Amino acid sequence: MRKLIPFAAALLSAAAIVSARAAEKTLVVAASVFPQSLQTGQSSFASLSLLEQTNESLVGRDNAGALHPGLAEKWEAVNDTTWRFHLRKGVKWHDGKPFTAADVVFTINRIVDPQVGYGLLARIGQVSGATVVDDYTVDVKTKVVFPTLVRGMSDIIIEPKHYYEQVGAQGVIKKPLGTGPFIFQSYTPGDRYELKANPDYWGGAPKFDKLVIREIPEAATRVASLLAGETQIIEEVPIDLIDQVNTSGRAKIDEIPTSAGLILTYDVRKPPFDNPKVREALDYAIDKPTILKEILKGHGELLQGQLLTSSALGFDPSLKARPFDPAKARKMLQEAGYNFSTQVPITTQSGKYVSDVDMCNVIAGMLNEVGVKATVNVVEGGVYSKISIANELGPLSMVAWYNLGDADFASVWFTKGGKRTVWVNDDYEKFFAMGRSTNDEAERVKAYHQMSGVMFEENPAIFLFGLPSVYAASTKIAGFGAASDKVLRLSKVELK
Amino acid sequence: MLRLIARRLAFAPLTLLLVSFVCFLVLRVTGNPVDIYLDINRTPEQVAALTERLHLDRPLLIQYLIYLRDVAQGNFGDSLQYGGPAIDAVLTAIGPTVQLLTVALSLAVVLGVIGGLIAAIQRDKLADAILSSLAVTGQSMPSFWLGILLIQFFALKLQWLPTSGRGEWRHVVLPAITLATILLPNFLLVTRAAIIDLMSEQFVVTARAKGLSPLHILMRHLFPNALNPLLSFLGIQVGTLMAGSIITESIFAWPGLGRLMVSAVFHRDAPVVLAAVFFVSLTIVLASLIVDILQGVVDPRIRQ
Repeated sequence: MRKLIPFAAALLSAAAIVSARAAEKTLVVAASVFPQSLQTGQSSFASLSLLEQTNESLVGRDNAGALHPGLAEKWEAVNDTTWRFHLRKGVKWHDGKPFTAADVVFTINRIVDPQVGYGLLARIGQVSGATVVDDYTVDVKTKVVFPTLVRGMSDIIIEPKHYYEQVGAQGVIKKPLGTGPFIFQSYTPGDRYELKANPDYWGGAPKFDKLVIREIPEAATRVASLLAGETQIIEEVPIDLIDQVNTSGRAKIDEIPTSAGLILTYDVRKPPFDNPKVREALDYAIDKPTILKEILKGHGELLQGQLLTSSALGFDPSLKARPFDPAKARKMLQEAGYNFSTQVPITTQSGKYVSDVDMCNVIAGMLNEVGVKATVNVVEGGVYSKISIANELGPLSMVAWYNLGDADFASVWFTKGGKRTVWVNDDYEKFFAMGRSTNDEAERVKAYHQMSGVMFEENPAIFLFGLPSVYAASTKIAGFGAASDKVLRLSKVELK
Repeated sequence: MLRLIARRLAFAPLTLLLVSFVCFLVLRVTGNPVDIYLDINRTPEQVAALTERLHLDRPLLIQYLIYLRDVAQGNFGDSLQYGGPAIDAVLTAIGPTVQLLTVALSLAVVLGVIGGLIAAIQRDKLADAILSSLAVTGQSMPSFWLGILLIQFFALKLQWLPTSGRGEWRHVVLPAITLATILLPNFLLVTRAAIIDLMSEQFVVTARAKGLSPLHILMRHLFPNALNPLLSFLGIQVGTLMAGSIITESIFAWPGLGRLMVSAVFHRDAPVVLAAVFFVSLTIVLASLIVDILQGVVDPRIRQ
């Protein structure tokens, strides 16, 4: 018996070593929606979030939206229409082949080819093409001055030229190959995306072995999976489940403002909203701070009389949201000769933005308080896109525009060229064009401040809230941060 | 019997045709793919290319006939959302759905019939009261709510089962129970009613008068005669089960046809919706055919 004990101990410790070696560290993340395939260039954050696990952009972007070097170490404008990118050396594709300028030129020229139908083409829409300067230097040419190129490039993932030639476009979609922190293993749409850590990642190997991203569309199930310990990070926590997560002791909410500005757009072509005074009056009738506090439970930011969220380049800190003043609203309406029997439906989708229908209901209620006969008109997504493109959304409609960190991306929707608005203002057009026609940041910011000023006076829309991006993470992990652009950044996560 | 099957088989394509036509019509009428798939900065060339690819410049009926011609050749078109063949997405989703439906249907039928038999025999006694009221409770429980409740209790509180996803056998338990709960009460109540109806029939009274044991009467005389109404009921319920799988799969993140259809409808991906609906209708048509055949086997009168 005595002899057996050391033997058993030896056996146990051997088993312990074996099991420790076998115990792979796996991080499981629950996403709210999956794309049906891993095709690049789909115009959705859900798609980009999966693709950026394996592939990278020349320009990196952090959770707050700030840019930093990615596959390019630095870049500069050579002249008004040429940007030069200096590539990182020693980066390898997951199959061991070196990453070079040829890959970048291949990727960009493929995207600008209209035959390819790249969904994110608009991000670098003014690019005419790219050329190799040497193995690690690329010149990107633009048709006109294009100050948002660098920011746009942070959404464009670089793809391997040699691999396309080997397996073709469909082959790349089936089995993506990148330079990023994780290596593709398998993808089952509607179920799971499996990856393993890239031990040779130039940005430092991840500190766990396997990454599994699961699609769990139902929010309550997503939260349950986190609290049950099946997942360690979940996306898109609805406002009403935030408390359940925070009081569980097993997970914590992690949130950050997105760059999405939620607004109510007027149809300024028709009475009563062809009158700027009427449009301004309604702005006083809506108690935005209360909606933010009661419906969004304080998550999100109050838009300060402008389309832009406070983190965007071009945000004007001198503008402030109009205060809630129903008496003033009513007085202004009377002075403007407002017809109080007009029906004002507010058009919205359901579930497109957090608590969208609830917010519209409360806003309609507040408008009724000042005598405006507002109702809520909920339409389904297909109908919405149809009437939106036809510019027939009705007198008031709810929408959110992402500025992606730069005023240009959101402001374009109020220009004639953007085609989404029926409001036309020559000064606005002028300032927007000014912001676009120079690479000088200070000049651009000045133009955008003037542009926001025009909007504040003219009120083509009621500016409501900057929407939050709400994640939750298990207390057993560290190094994760909520992303303002809804792209998962996981290479620095540690499992405790 | 063969004639019955032949007649049924002849109707099947007609049913599929009708279903596909209605779906095609609804999808085309409620939204133009050009508006949905090309953003506002679209070029006229892009519009022309998509219009040509989908034959949108032709009359609706011609578009449908072109679609039928392609389907007859096994081509369900490419997904508008991601470009790959629509049929691929559907084929990968069929397996999980069949698995879930099989488990749920077996659960509902076996437990429902056993429960119904017990309730019928114990009519107006305690067991009947409990079973019948449980059935009514189950019937009135929305599956969405039940699913969340099951997750909260069995996955979160007791940690016996996983919350969601597909993997080993443990994953199928909660979604199968949720789905089965849509049908189980109905099976129980239908079985109970059928047996109670039969109990007052002459042949049962005779059997009882002959002194046969209650179990013998139940298994040899009552149950075989109750089979037929149960089978026709089963045939109708396959459709209900399919509909239920849409909600259940969404709650439990089960990667099946139901979830695929929700996502495809949400993205207005007509080819994927149509391909999925085709397979769902095919399943329902086949299920009712099998039920017809079984009924013929059980009841010789139907064979004529």
